[in-house]
Amino acid sequence: MNRTSRHPMRRILLAAVVLVALVGVFVVRLVDLQVVRAAELSEEAEGRRSTSVTVYGARGDIVDANGIVLADSVMRYDIAVSPKNASAGPIVRQQPDPDDPAKTVRVDVPLEQSAAELGAVLGLTGEQVKGIIDGKLAENPESDFAYVAKLVDTATYEQVKALDIPWVVPWEHPSRRYPNGAVAGNLLGFVDPDGNAVAGLEYSEDECLAGEDGELSYLHSLEDWVQIPGTEVIHKQARDGGTLRLTIDSDLQWMVQRIAEAQVQAVGADWATVTVMEAKTGRLLAVADVPTVDPNDPAATPEGDRGSRSFTAPFEPGSTFKAITAASVIDAGRADALSQVVAPYRYLPANGADVNDSFFHEDTQYTLTGVLIDSSNTGMSLFGERLSDQERYDDMLAFGLGERTEVGFPGEEPGDLHGGPDEWDNQTKYATMFGQGLTTTAVQIASAYQTLANGGVRMPVRLVDGCTDADGEAAAPQSEGTRVISENAADQTSQMLERVYLEGWLADKWEIPGYRVAAKTGTAQVPDGNGGYLRGYLVSVSGFAPADDPRFIVSVSIMNPVKMNSSAASAPVFQQVMSQVLKKYRTVPSGAPAPELPATW
Amino acid sequence: MTALPAQSAPAPRRSPAPKPERRLRPAPEPGGRAKPRLAYAIIALGGVAVIVVVQLLLSIAVAQGAYEIDSYQVRQAKLAREEQKLSEDLDRVESPQFLAANAEALGMVPNANPVYLRLSDGAVLGEPTAATGGAAASGPLVPNALISGVPLVTEQAQVQTPNGGTPGEASVAAPDAPPVAPPPTDGLPTPATH
Repeated sequence: MNRTSRHPMRRILLAAVVLVALVGVFVVRLVDLQVVRAAELSEEAEGRRSTSVTVYGARGDIVDANGIVLADSVMRYDIAVSPKNASAGPIVRQQPDPDDPAKTVRVDVPLEQSAAELGAVLGLTGEQVKGIIDGKLAENPESDFAYVAKLVDTATYEQVKALDIPWVVPWEHPSRRYPNGAVAGNLLGFVDPDGNAVAGLEYSEDECLAGEDGELSYLHSLEDWVQIPGTEVIHKQARDGGTLRLTIDSDLQWMVQRIAEAQVQAVGADWATVTVMEAKTGRLLAVADVPTVDPNDPAATPEGDRGSRSFTAPFEPGSTFKAITAASVIDAGRADALSQVVAPYRYLPANGADVNDSFFHEDTQYTLTGVLIDSSNTGMSLFGERLSDQERYDDMLAFGLGERTEVGFPGEEPGDLHGGPDEWDNQTKYATMFGQGLTTTAVQIASAYQTLANGGVRMPVRLVDGCTDADGEAAAPQSEGTRVISENAADQTSQMLERVYLEGWLADKWEIPGYRVAAKTGTAQVPDGNGGYLRGYLVSVSGFAPADDPRFIVSVSIMNPVKMNSSAASAPVFQQVMSQVLKKYRTVPSGAPAPELPATW
Repeated sequence: MTALPAQSAPAPRRSPAPKPERRLRPAPEPGGRAKPRLAYAIIALGGVAVIVVVQLLLSIAVAQGAYEIDSYQVRQAKLAREEQKLSEDLDRVESPQFLAANAEALGMVPNANPVYLRLSDGAVLGEPTAATGGAAASGPLVPNALISGVPLVTEQAQVQTPNGGTPGEASVAAPDAPPVAPPPTDGLPTPATH
């Protein structure tokens, strides 16, 4: 008493210090809880009280030029079981009482019976279901999760739900579906079961198509998991993928694939590609690759056949290439459609090369038109050597050969122009005039013919028209054409190809009544990869119609048709596809006949 | 600007002013403080009670709404599944493979040679050529895993009319049977009724 009364200030000071310290501790703790760790703690609290749900962002559709869906996203379900709970004992079910229909009785359903019921819905036997459960339990007696079926459809899901077995849990699993099956399957590609794009446009246009899953959480009632109003928290907004619009017409694509497949089977070929392109825009209307993968079931097709050979399999084009060389020569002013040569059966140029024709003939007085009609290698060599190698090489590049097209298809090949003029040996210098010794893809050949059909202006090749997402349309950039050869050279080449169509040896095999058509065949040798050539041929036809106002390019390539090893195998395909295209797009038949051009002099 | 002179001007005048004399006065007696009325208390308490009750009712309504929303959401999910199921069926039967298989089952043959009739002068463009050959079964040519097991229209007709014979076969076997009129299209002029 005395002491304190002697030092009252000290007592007050002590109390104040203690008070300040205490308040300080509280403040520090408060700041720590409310500011420093606020986010972390509230998240933890939220996590304990709330349930979090994945909101699936759907992968975008792929549609054809008319909006027909070629690929869309659907919800599938994985059926999982809890082996631990399944083995815990029979489940109890309410059933109508046989004695009194108004009442229900409790029935014990043993595991065997419920497993058999589940199996019947999923296409398994009861033993198989039980085997999965027992197998998991043998590994781990506390096992709480095992899949019994994956990616089942909605009908099956509803049947499983109707069984009302407590140890069965269906999980949502977004999946991909291709309603038209193999139609354009080669182009579309496919996704793996986890939803990752692995091939084709699905892969190359993933940026447009891919959606993003969102996440939200909410508080729910204890018993029945009803969401408490106002407690929903969106952690991440889901985003749907964009819709990819192709230039492909799915009906035409189907028809073209059908024609190609029938011919591949008829002539025993290894594979075939058919490309249909719009002459004025460079848009691809159909790209058929046979064999074609059905993206609903990619595993059914051998791995090598799951892509698009039109883009990924370069080949030596052969005689279809002569039209390109002829156009170059005319463009350079070194010849015209009626220029004359005397073509021997065997031509031995001064540089030591050795050029033969595929059929024996005496020295023939060919015009350039005649060289194309009879597809004379020697005649083409005599015209081709009027250009320097560099000039021809530059024209090839301008025609879009030797580099990937604007499509940028996954695995697309640029083709190989055998290096360039400096690396060409003497034989190659001549071989490249008639399409050997260099490789091109089917789409590149179609694009080169598009240049001829479009008055010498090459349009960028297009397979995708645009991508529409939530932000609106992102159209493909407006394509500007590039002039490759003069209009006069293109027109003369077109007229010569019309004579080929009318007078060539397949004239009766590819006739399309009522239309003027320009076309050229090719029967190319196939390199074996060791410097030699295989026995089989790659037979092809490329052409366009109507020749008086070209609208469509059709390019057909068939690899190694065993039963008919000549371009007679590809001509009917060209005829059927071109007829279908002209019919489908209501093309008015040509009026005037094709101009006469003499083949010989 | 006028505020400054206004403030500074009275200051010198205030200091010489005489201070008023301070005096103490008795404060006025509070004139008989009135008793608080009961009505106010009732109003206040009643108001609180009403607020509590309304609050309770509102939260009951909200909770009830939550259950209603939930039941609608369940229903929506169910309908969405139904919609997906139906649209999958529709897409399946819309596929060109299924249409072609049906057309072939009905005996249709594609004609590759188009011919056009120009309505303005009745000119025939193109060369009419009959369709050649029976249609090959195109089903296996362009596979579609989704339509396997879906019955064709001819098979469906058989299923639907088990006693009435098969319309598909009847029209082939009996050429005198009245042909089914093709549905009118917009493309061709039809006789007007007037």
